[in-house]
Amino acid sequence: MPPRLQLNALAAFPPLPIVRLRVQFQRRLASSSTPDIYDVVCVGGGPAGLSLLTGLRNSKITSNLKVALVDGQDLQKNRLRKDASLESFSNRCSSLTPASVKNLQEIGAWSHAAQARIQPYQEMQVWDGISGARISFDWDSARPILSPRSPTQPTTIAYMIENINITSTLLSRLEELGGVHIFSSQNVSSIALGTEAPDVDLSSWPVLTLSSGKQLAARLLVGADGANSPVRTFAGIPSRGFDYSRHGLVATLKLAGPGWGGPDHKIAYQRFLPTGPIAMLPLPGNVASLVWSTTPERAAKLKALPESDFVAMVNAGFRLSATDLEFLHTMSSGQEEEVAWREQHTSLDTHTIPQKVTAVQSGTVASFPLKLRHADTYTGERVALVGDAAHTIHPLAGQGLNQGQGDAAALVRTISRAVQTGQDIGSVLALESYNSERYAENNAMLGICDKLHRLYSVESGPVVGLRTWGLKAVDAVGPLKGFFMNRAAGGV
Amino acid sequence: MNPLRHTFISRCLDTTPPSTNPLPEELRYLDIGCGGGIFAESAARLRTTASVTAIDPTPDVLAIAEGHKRRDPALMTKGKLTYLNTSIEELPVPGSEAEKFDVVTLFEVLEHVNAPGPFLESVISNVKPGGWLVLSTIARTWTSWMVTNVVAEDVLGIVPKGTHEWQKYVNEGELREWFAEKGGWGGNGGVKAMGVVYVPGLGWKEIPGGEAWGNYFFGVRRDG
Repeated sequence: MPPRLQLNALAAFPPLPIVRLRVQFQRRLASSSTPDIYDVVCVGGGPAGLSLLTGLRNSKITSNLKVALVDGQDLQKNRLRKDASLESFSNRCSSLTPASVKNLQEIGAWSHAAQARIQPYQEMQVWDGISGARISFDWDSARPILSPRSPTQPTTIAYMIENINITSTLLSRLEELGGVHIFSSQNVSSIALGTEAPDVDLSSWPVLTLSSGKQLAARLLVGADGANSPVRTFAGIPSRGFDYSRHGLVATLKLAGPGWGGPDHKIAYQRFLPTGPIAMLPLPGNVASLVWSTTPERAAKLKALPESDFVAMVNAGFRLSATDLEFLHTMSSGQEEEVAWREQHTSLDTHTIPQKVTAVQSGTVASFPLKLRHADTYTGERVALVGDAAHTIHPLAGQGLNQGQGDAAALVRTISRAVQTGQDIGSVLALESYNSERYAENNAMLGICDKLHRLYSVESGPVVGLRTWGLKAVDAVGPLKGFFMNRAAGGV
Repeated sequence: MNPLRHTFISRCLDTTPPSTNPLPEELRYLDIGCGGGIFAESAARLRTTASVTAIDPTPDVLAIAEGHKRRDPALMTKGKLTYLNTSIEELPVPGSEAEKFDVVTLFEVLEHVNAPGPFLESVISNVKPGGWLVLSTIARTWTSWMVTNVVAEDVLGIVPKGTHEWQKYVNEGELREWFAEKGGWGGNGGVKAMGVVYVPGLGWKEIPGGEAWGNYFFGVRRDG
């Protein structure tokens, strides 16, 4: 597949480690007791790991594999409550692409989702905080000139969903399918290679010892265990990259209304500021999700503000100039009054920016450091990596979680092919197609999002002119915009 | 190459009009000239496999096969995968038709055999009515002579010199003819062939019509 270019935007949430494991990495031989033998042991019950296991259990070809899930957290406790109020939303949300949704439908999971908590959006407004150049995305303006709107034309760009809704949905589907040995609230205390005995030779098999003392031998060990993946460390696969010296600040916001397009035409907004993009993604009702990439100092400052000043700063983030914002961050207090005064002197077309924020859901303001990481390879002898264990991306295009879903679906395909031809699913040869299918695609996406970040970090000079021209050019050509939107949608 | 073997076997089993003697849900395989056991292991892992008997006259390669088998507990189930150090001529022919095999495989063996006719007689005496003989070999053409004797042995040196004797190669048409003359084989659509070619960087690929000039798979069903 070609790389998915992502001019559009938006939110992914904190790639916080899903499992926190303390693991000793030893390539020594595991201890005496006989381990239980599994075909697939997945470490990490986040969206990628759960999607992989659901895919394996859902397919007739792979459903006779013996599979296990290990997670250090209590998976039942971290589930969305059935009676959860629509007044409050988690601050960890993702923008699911139609491709990811299609996969969730195919593995029978999507129907289990709490649909009332999911917000599809039909339009995106993306603009340059320095020059004001703007691009708007919606499927109607993306069609070829003069051609009628096709009835099969999708109208949804992506779906805003709480991460807890995704994991709960997948867990419900897994329960329905059954057959997964779940080791919840159990840490992996060590991973080591197995031993050679006269009857069976496990010296190439990873053997996990859990905190309960239980031992699991894995034909294929899947690391879905987050950015600091202990499985990746065990496999000796280096992960390279850098820190952006930026933090992603998230919050759940209450707006003055359901948005300018009403409840049936929701709009996502992203403004590129020199410190990083600020994005507001629609949630059901008058609620929206904020992702503001900014310097660690400014993130700390914003987090420390009282609610009224914080609300004013978020409104300012979409309205006032970069210079105004810089000054506002230096004030020790009184941002609310200052923003109100400065806003009177800023001319705004209010319908091109989000409706005003009126309140913040308490306890939802949080921040996390932004990083770019990419593992050297996704596979090794009896090891495969998916999701954040394989790659960590800048959240500006909201692709982190979608990449993990793509990984899971691709690994299911690779395992299916191996099963159909009697290959050992843990062998390097059998896993090769997974690595070749996903590595190049993820690498391209990582590169594009990184370049976008750099492009918009520039505050003045010819770069600003060029990027402004580029954005306007794309905005003016419907079919070209359609191309970008297709890539953003996951190529469906 | 190995996944293609399964692709071809599945094609033989699934796309041929049924014989009067349908095969069971779980199949019994006999793999002749199993070498290190690449095919035998993969066949034994399939859901639709009851058992695999794999034979090879060379003790050294069988030792490797046994060692590799121990690395997969799924193959250690008793009776799942059995290696025997024997040639096909010395393997006792099953006493009854029912004890014969559903699928007999002969991969990259025929081209090394001095007298293909008598050899094939020993092989097919192990196929049960309605069962399949599936083999792969290489056609005797100027292309194959160039590829195996000159390029593989002389130029690249990836195959020991003298491994191939081009005169021994058997063409697909000759196999069809042999079975047609014999009678009791290949009825009701039960003959199939698939040409394959090695593409550097991509591996083995199916190539329509390739059975006429290079490596090919050949499958023939014993009438039921």
